[in-house]
Amino acid sequence: MSENKILFNTGSLDELSQEVTNLTNNEDSKLKLTPDNADSGLAKLVLTLVELIRKLVEKQAMRRVDGGLLTEEEIERLGETLMKLEMKMEELKKHFNLTDRDLNINLGPLGDLM
Amino acid sequence: MVMSIMIYAILSTKKNPGKLNALLTGIKGVSGVGLYAISVDKIALVVCDINKADIIADKSCAIEYAGVIETLAQQFTLLPVRYGSVMESTETIKKMLERNYAEIQQNLLKVENKFEFGLKVFCDSQKIKDEIKTETESIIEPEQSSENSIYREYINKKFKEHKFEELLLAHVDEIILDITTRIAQLNPTHKFKKMVSPTNIIDAVFLLEKDKKKDCINVVNNLQNKYPGLRLILTGPWPPYNFVDITIK
Repeated sequence: MSENKILFNTGSLDELSQEVTNLTNNEDSKLKLTPDNADSGLAKLVLTLVELIRKLVEKQAMRRVDGGLLTEEEIERLGETLMKLEMKMEELKKHFNLTDRDLNINLGPLGDLM
Repeated sequence: MVMSIMIYAILSTKKNPGKLNALLTGIKGVSGVGLYAISVDKIALVVCDINKADIIADKSCAIEYAGVIETLAQQFTLLPVRYGSVMESTETIKKMLERNYAEIQQNLLKVENKFEFGLKVFCDSQKIKDEIKTETESIIEPEQSSENSIYREYINKKFKEHKFEELLLAHVDEIILDITTRIAQLNPTHKFKKMVSPTNIIDAVFLLEKDKKKDCINVVNNLQNKYPGLRLILTGPWPPYNFVDITIK
Protein backbone atom coordinates (compact mmCIF):
# COMPACT_ATOMS: atom_id res chain seq x y z
CA MET A 1 0.00 0.00 0.00
CA SER A 2 1.57 3.28 -1.04
CA GLU A 3 1.90 5.97 1.63
CA ASN A 4 -0.32 8.43 -0.24
CA LYS A 5 -3.22 6.02 0.19
CA ILE A 6 -3.08 6.33 3.96
CA LEU A 7 -5.39 9.21 4.79
CA PHE A 8 -5.41 8.82 8.55
CA ASN A 9 -3.10 6.87 10.83
CA THR A 10 -2.01 7.82 14.32
CA GLY A 11 0.78 5.26 14.64
CA SER A 12 4.00 4.72 12.74
CA LEU A 13 4.13 3.17 9.29
CA ASP A 14 6.19 0.29 10.66
CA GLU A 15 3.42 -0.57 13.11
CA LEU A 16 0.86 -0.39 10.32
CA SER A 17 3.00 -2.57 8.11
CA GLN A 18 3.25 -5.12 10.95
CA GLU A 19 -0.53 -5.14 11.46
CA VAL A 20 -1.15 -5.69 7.75
CA THR A 21 1.48 -8.43 7.61
CA ASN A 22 -0.21 -10.18 10.52
CA LEU A 23 -3.51 -10.05 8.66
CA THR A 24 -2.26 -11.23 5.31
CA ASN A 25 0.69 -13.48 6.00
CA ASN A 26 -0.79 -16.20 8.13
CA GLU A 27 1.18 -19.02 6.53
CA ASP A 28 0.50 -21.53 9.32
CA SER A 29 -3.21 -21.27 8.75
CA LYS A 30 -3.10 -22.31 5.10
CA LEU A 31 -3.85 -25.83 3.98
CA LYS A 32 -0.90 -27.06 1.97
CA LEU A 33 -1.78 -30.47 0.61
CA THR A 34 0.97 -32.07 -1.47
CA PRO A 35 1.72 -35.72 -2.37
CA ASP A 36 4.41 -35.71 0.34
CA ASN A 37 2.22 -34.54 3.20
CA ALA A 38 -1.16 -36.05 2.29
CA ASP A 39 -1.46 -37.71 5.75
CA SER A 40 -0.71 -34.67 7.90
CA GLY A 41 -2.55 -32.34 5.51
CA LEU A 42 -5.66 -34.49 5.71
CA ALA A 43 -5.35 -34.73 9.51
CA LYS A 44 -5.18 -30.93 9.67
CA LEU A 45 -8.26 -30.58 7.49
CA VAL A 46 -10.27 -33.16 9.44
CA LEU A 47 -9.24 -31.83 12.85
CA THR A 48 -10.08 -28.30 11.74
CA LEU A 49 -13.63 -29.39 10.96
CA VAL A 50 -13.91 -31.38 14.18
CA GLU A 51 -12.64 -28.38 16.18
CA LEU A 52 -15.10 -26.06 14.44
CA ILE A 53 -18.01 -28.38 15.28
CA ARG A 54 -16.76 -28.82 18.86
CA LYS A 55 -16.67 -25.05 19.34
CA LEU A 56 -20.16 -24.67 17.87
CA VAL A 57 -21.45 -27.36 20.24
CA GLU A 58 -19.74 -25.57 23.13
CA LYS A 59 -21.30 -22.22 22.16
CA GLN A 60 -24.75 -23.76 21.89
CA ALA A 61 -24.28 -25.42 25.27
CA MET A 62 -23.34 -22.09 26.85
CA ARG A 63 -26.47 -20.52 25.40
CA ARG A 64 -28.52 -23.26 27.07
CA VAL A 65 -26.74 -22.70 30.38
CA ASP A 66 -27.35 -18.96 29.96
CA GLY A 67 -31.03 -19.65 29.29
CA GLY A 68 -31.29 -21.13 32.79
CA LEU A 69 -33.30 -24.11 31.60
CA LEU A 70 -30.86 -26.84 32.60
CA THR A 71 -30.94 -28.69 35.90
CA GLU A 72 -27.81 -28.99 38.04
CA GLU A 73 -27.51 -32.63 36.97
CA GLU A 74 -27.74 -31.72 33.28
CA ILE A 75 -25.08 -29.02 33.73
CA GLU A 76 -22.79 -31.55 35.41
CA ARG A 77 -23.20 -33.98 32.50
CA LEU A 78 -22.69 -31.20 29.99
CA GLY A 79 -19.51 -30.15 31.79
CA GLU A 80 -18.19 -33.71 31.79
CA THR A 81 -18.93 -34.16 28.07
CA LEU A 82 -17.41 -30.84 27.00
CA MET A 83 -14.34 -31.34 29.17
CA LYS A 84 -13.73 -34.82 27.76
CA LEU A 85 -14.21 -33.54 24.20
CA GLU A 86 -11.65 -30.81 24.80
CA MET A 87 -9.18 -33.25 26.34
CA LYS A 88 -9.60 -35.67 23.43
CA MET A 89 -9.06 -32.84 20.99
CA GLU A 90 -5.84 -31.84 22.80
CA GLU A 91 -4.65 -35.45 22.53
CA LEU A 92 -5.33 -35.54 18.79
CA LYS A 93 -3.60 -32.20 18.22
CA LYS A 94 -0.56 -33.47 20.10
CA HIS A 95 -0.58 -36.73 18.15
CA PHE A 96 -0.55 -34.91 14.80
CA ASN A 97 1.77 -32.18 16.06
CA LEU A 98 -0.75 -29.40 15.45
CA THR A 99 -1.45 -26.19 17.36
CA ASP A 100 -4.61 -24.09 17.73
CA ARG A 101 -3.20 -21.70 15.15
CA ASP A 102 -2.82 -24.54 12.63
CA LEU A 103 -6.52 -25.35 12.97
CA ASN A 104 -7.70 -21.80 12.43
CA ILE A 105 -7.72 -21.83 8.65
CA ASN A 106 -7.49 -18.48 6.92
CA LEU A 107 -10.39 -18.04 4.52
CA GLY A 108 -8.87 -15.08 2.68
CA PRO A 109 -11.29 -12.16 2.43
CA LEU A 110 -13.65 -13.86 4.88
CA GLY A 111 -11.03 -13.78 7.64
CA ASP A 112 -10.12 -16.66 9.94
CA LEU A 113 -12.40 -19.67 10.32
CA MET A 114 -12.64 -19.41 14.12
CA MET B 1 0.57 -20.91 -27.81
CA VAL B 2 -3.12 -20.11 -27.23
CA MET B 3 -3.75 -16.42 -26.69
CA SER B 4 -6.54 -15.19 -24.44
CA ILE B 5 -7.78 -11.79 -23.40
CA MET B 6 -7.28 -10.56 -19.83
CA ILE B 7 -9.83 -8.04 -18.53
CA TYR B 8 -8.77 -5.18 -16.23
CA ALA B 9 -11.95 -3.18 -15.76
CA ILE B 10 -15.40 -2.42 -17.09
CA LEU B 11 -15.85 1.28 -17.83
CA SER B 12 -18.62 3.68 -18.56
CA THR B 13 -17.68 5.73 -21.62
CA LYS B 14 -20.90 7.71 -21.84
CA LYS B 15 -19.31 11.02 -20.80
CA ASN B 16 -16.01 10.89 -22.66
CA PRO B 17 -16.10 8.21 -25.37
CA GLY B 18 -13.07 9.51 -27.31
CA LYS B 19 -10.84 9.89 -24.27
CA LEU B 20 -10.34 6.20 -23.51
CA ASN B 21 -8.26 5.25 -26.55
CA ALA B 22 -6.01 8.27 -26.02
CA LEU B 23 -5.50 7.28 -22.38
CA LEU B 24 -4.78 3.64 -23.25
CA THR B 25 -1.97 4.55 -25.62
CA GLY B 26 -0.16 6.15 -22.68
CA ILE B 27 -0.37 3.27 -20.18
CA LYS B 28 0.90 -0.30 -20.20
CA GLY B 29 -0.59 -3.43 -18.70
CA VAL B 30 1.08 -6.10 -16.56
CA SER B 31 4.62 -6.88 -17.83
CA GLY B 32 4.48 -3.91 -20.20
CA VAL B 33 1.88 -5.29 -22.62
CA GLY B 34 -0.33 -2.94 -24.62
CA LEU B 35 -3.90 -2.25 -23.57
CA TYR B 36 -6.95 -1.74 -25.74
CA ALA B 37 -10.71 -1.40 -25.34
CA ILE B 38 -13.58 -3.61 -26.45
CA SER B 39 -16.83 -1.64 -26.48
CA VAL B 40 -20.53 -2.25 -26.70
CA ASP B 41 -22.55 0.95 -26.83
CA LYS B 42 -21.53 3.06 -23.78
CA ILE B 43 -19.64 0.34 -21.94
CA ALA B 44 -16.03 -0.62 -22.62
CA LEU B 45 -13.76 -3.32 -21.27
CA VAL B 46 -10.07 -2.51 -20.92
CA VAL B 47 -8.11 -5.61 -21.88
CA CYS B 48 -4.80 -6.98 -23.08
CA ASP B 49 -3.84 -10.07 -25.06
CA ILE B 50 -2.09 -12.68 -22.97
CA ASN B 51 -0.97 -16.27 -23.08
CA LYS B 52 -2.94 -17.98 -20.30
CA ALA B 53 0.19 -19.79 -19.15
CA ASP B 54 1.89 -16.42 -18.58
CA ILE B 55 -0.58 -15.30 -15.93
CA ILE B 56 1.37 -15.50 -12.70
CA ALA B 57 -0.42 -15.36 -9.36
CA ASP B 58 2.29 -13.15 -7.96
CA LYS B 59 2.11 -10.07 -5.73
CA SER B 60 4.06 -7.72 -8.00
CA CYS B 61 1.86 -8.60 -11.02
CA ALA B 62 -1.28 -8.02 -8.93
CA ILE B 63 0.10 -4.62 -7.84
CA GLU B 64 0.87 -3.66 -11.45
CA TYR B 65 -2.63 -4.75 -12.41
CA ALA B 66 -4.15 -2.67 -9.60
CA GLY B 67 -2.04 0.29 -10.77
CA VAL B 68 -3.69 0.15 -14.20
CA ILE B 69 -7.16 0.09 -12.63
CA GLU B 70 -6.15 3.00 -10.39
CA THR B 71 -5.05 5.10 -13.38
CA LEU B 72 -8.27 4.37 -15.25
CA ALA B 73 -10.38 5.13 -12.16
CA GLN B 74 -8.96 8.67 -12.03
CA GLN B 75 -10.77 9.48 -15.26
CA PHE B 76 -13.59 6.99 -15.69
CA THR B 77 -16.36 5.44 -13.66
CA LEU B 78 -15.40 1.78 -13.59
CA LEU B 79 -15.96 -1.64 -12.11
CA PRO B 80 -12.63 -3.32 -11.28
CA VAL B 81 -12.26 -6.93 -12.43
CA ARG B 82 -10.41 -9.59 -10.44
CA TYR B 83 -6.77 -10.17 -11.49
CA GLY B 84 -6.48 -13.15 -13.84
CA SER B 85 -9.97 -12.87 -15.36
CA VAL B 86 -9.64 -14.03 -18.95
CA MET B 87 -11.95 -14.74 -21.87
CA GLU B 88 -11.19 -16.49 -25.12
CA SER B 89 -11.96 -13.88 -27.78
CA THR B 90 -13.34 -10.44 -28.57
CA GLU B 91 -16.53 -12.13 -29.76
CA THR B 92 -17.15 -13.92 -26.42
CA ILE B 93 -16.46 -10.69 -24.54
CA LYS B 94 -18.96 -8.75 -26.66
CA LYS B 95 -21.59 -11.44 -26.17
CA MET B 96 -20.98 -11.41 -22.41
CA LEU B 97 -21.30 -7.61 -22.37
CA GLU B 98 -24.58 -7.77 -24.28
CA ARG B 99 -26.01 -10.45 -21.98
CA ASN B 100 -25.11 -8.51 -18.83
CA TYR B 101 -25.50 -4.97 -20.13
CA ALA B 102 -28.35 -3.88 -17.85
CA GLU B 103 -26.74 -5.25 -14.70
CA ILE B 104 -23.38 -3.67 -15.53
CA GLN B 105 -25.06 -0.32 -16.23
CA GLN B 106 -26.85 -0.53 -12.89
CA ASN B 107 -23.56 -1.17 -11.05
CA LEU B 108 -21.79 1.62 -12.93
CA LEU B 109 -24.55 3.97 -11.94
CA LYS B 110 -24.17 2.93 -8.30
CA VAL B 111 -20.45 3.79 -8.25
CA GLU B 112 -20.60 6.84 -10.51
CA ASN B 113 -18.50 9.74 -9.22
CA LYS B 114 -17.63 7.72 -6.11
CA PHE B 115 -14.54 6.18 -4.58
CA GLU B 116 -14.07 3.50 -1.97
CA PHE B 117 -12.46 4.23 1.40
CA GLY B 118 -11.28 1.61 3.85
CA LEU B 119 -11.36 1.93 7.61
CA LYS B 120 -9.57 -0.58 9.81
CA VAL B 121 -9.94 -0.44 13.57
CA PHE B 122 -7.21 -2.13 15.55
CA CYS B 123 -7.06 -2.76 19.26
CA ASP B 124 -5.73 -5.18 21.75
CA SER B 125 -8.88 -7.26 22.20
CA GLN B 126 -7.34 -8.99 25.22
CA LYS B 127 -7.00 -5.55 26.84
CA ILE B 128 -10.66 -4.75 26.11
CA LYS B 129 -11.61 -8.19 27.46
CA ASP B 130 -9.68 -7.48 30.65
CA GLU B 131 -11.44 -4.11 31.02
CA ILE B 132 -14.85 -5.70 30.46
CA LYS B 133 -13.91 -8.45 32.88
CA THR B 134 -13.06 -5.98 35.61
CA GLU B 135 -16.23 -3.98 35.00
CA THR B 136 -18.57 -6.94 34.90
CA GLU B 137 -16.96 -9.62 37.04
CA SER B 138 -19.80 -9.69 39.53
CA ILE B 139 -22.56 -9.48 36.93
CA ILE B 140 -21.54 -12.55 34.99
CA GLU B 141 -20.42 -14.71 37.85
CA PRO B 142 -22.23 -18.03 37.28
CA GLU B 143 -24.08 -19.76 40.08
CA GLN B 144 -21.73 -21.28 42.60
CA SER B 145 -22.27 -23.90 45.21
CA SER B 146 -19.85 -24.73 47.98
CA GLU B 147 -19.12 -28.18 46.60
CA ASN B 148 -18.54 -27.62 42.90
CA SER B 149 -17.32 -30.66 40.99
CA ILE B 150 -14.55 -30.30 38.40
CA TYR B 151 -17.23 -30.49 35.68
CA ARG B 152 -19.23 -27.68 37.21
CA GLU B 153 -16.03 -25.64 37.58
CA TYR B 154 -15.27 -26.33 33.92
CA ILE B 155 -18.74 -25.13 32.86
CA ASN B 156 -18.34 -22.01 35.01
CA LYS B 157 -15.03 -21.20 33.33
CA LYS B 158 -16.46 -21.73 29.84
CA PHE B 159 -19.56 -19.74 30.73
CA LYS B 160 -17.45 -16.77 31.80
CA GLU B 161 -15.46 -16.92 28.55
CA HIS B 162 -18.73 -17.08 26.62
CA LYS B 163 -20.12 -14.01 28.39
CA PHE B 164 -16.90 -12.06 27.82
CA GLU B 165 -17.07 -12.90 24.10
CA GLU B 166 -20.67 -11.68 24.00
CA LEU B 167 -19.75 -8.45 25.79
CA LEU B 168 -16.78 -7.88 23.50
CA LEU B 169 -18.99 -8.28 20.43
CA ALA B 170 -21.58 -5.93 21.95
CA HIS B 171 -18.78 -3.39 22.53
CA VAL B 172 -17.65 -3.71 18.89
CA ASP B 173 -21.30 -3.29 17.78
CA GLU B 174 -21.49 -0.06 19.81
CA ILE B 175 -18.40 1.27 18.03
CA ILE B 176 -19.83 0.28 14.64
CA LEU B 177 -23.08 2.05 15.48
CA ASP B 178 -21.10 5.14 16.45
CA ILE B 179 -19.13 5.04 13.19
CA THR B 180 -22.27 4.58 11.05
CA THR B 181 -24.09 7.37 12.89
CA ARG B 182 -21.24 9.83 12.44
CA ILE B 183 -20.55 8.91 8.84
CA ALA B 184 -24.25 8.88 7.89
CA GLN B 185 -24.03 12.62 7.11
CA LEU B 186 -21.78 11.69 4.16
CA ASN B 187 -24.47 9.36 2.85
CA PRO B 188 -22.22 6.40 2.14
CA THR B 189 -22.88 2.80 1.23
CA HIS B 190 -20.95 0.73 3.71
CA LYS B 191 -19.94 -2.80 4.60
CA PHE B 192 -18.57 -3.95 7.96
CA LYS B 193 -16.69 -7.05 9.05
CA LYS B 194 -16.26 -7.70 12.76
CA MET B 195 -13.39 -9.43 14.55
CA VAL B 196 -11.32 -10.15 11.46
CA SER B 197 -8.49 -11.06 13.84
CA PRO B 198 -7.93 -10.63 17.59
CA THR B 199 -6.44 -7.19 16.89
CA ASN B 200 -8.41 -6.04 13.83
CA ILE B 201 -11.84 -5.66 15.43
CA ILE B 202 -13.49 -3.77 12.56
CA ASP B 203 -12.78 -3.78 8.84
CA ALA B 204 -15.10 -1.39 7.03
CA VAL B 205 -15.41 -0.06 3.50
CA PHE B 206 -17.37 3.01 2.45
CA LEU B 207 -18.46 4.12 -0.97
CA LEU B 208 -18.42 7.91 -0.93
CA GLU B 209 -18.71 10.72 -3.42
CA LYS B 210 -15.26 11.81 -4.58
CA ASP B 211 -15.49 15.26 -2.99
CA LYS B 212 -16.26 13.83 0.49
CA LYS B 213 -12.68 12.74 1.18
CA LYS B 214 -11.91 15.57 3.62
CA ASP B 215 -15.20 15.10 5.48
CA CYS B 216 -14.43 11.42 5.82
CA ILE B 217 -10.99 12.18 7.30
CA ASN B 218 -12.65 14.58 9.78
CA VAL B 219 -15.14 11.93 10.89
CA VAL B 220 -12.34 9.43 11.47
CA ASN B 221 -10.29 12.03 13.33
CA ASN B 222 -13.23 12.70 15.68
CA LEU B 223 -13.73 8.98 16.21
CA GLN B 224 -10.06 8.54 17.04
CA ASN B 225 -10.36 11.31 19.65
CA LYS B 226 -13.34 9.56 21.18
CA TYR B 227 -11.63 6.14 21.31
CA PRO B 228 -7.99 6.78 22.22
CA GLY B 229 -7.52 3.09 23.08
CA LEU B 230 -8.23 2.10 19.50
CA ARG B 231 -6.14 2.68 16.40
CA LEU B 232 -8.04 3.83 13.34
CA ILE B 233 -6.54 3.67 9.87
CA LEU B 234 -8.31 5.24 6.91
CA THR B 235 -7.13 4.46 3.39
CA GLY B 236 -8.22 5.51 -0.06
CA PRO B 237 -9.46 6.65 -2.40
CA TRP B 238 -9.72 3.22 -4.07
CA PRO B 239 -11.64 1.99 -7.08
CA PRO B 240 -14.90 0.40 -5.85
CA TYR B 241 -13.46 -3.10 -5.29
CA ASN B 242 -16.01 -4.07 -2.65
CA PHE B 243 -19.13 -2.63 -4.23
CA VAL B 244 -19.45 -4.54 -7.49
CA ASP B 245 -22.37 -6.89 -7.30
CA ILE B 246 -22.76 -8.75 -10.58
CA THR B 247 -23.30 -12.40 -11.32
CA ILE B 248 -22.01 -12.71 -14.87
CA LYS B 249 -24.41 -14.66 -17.05
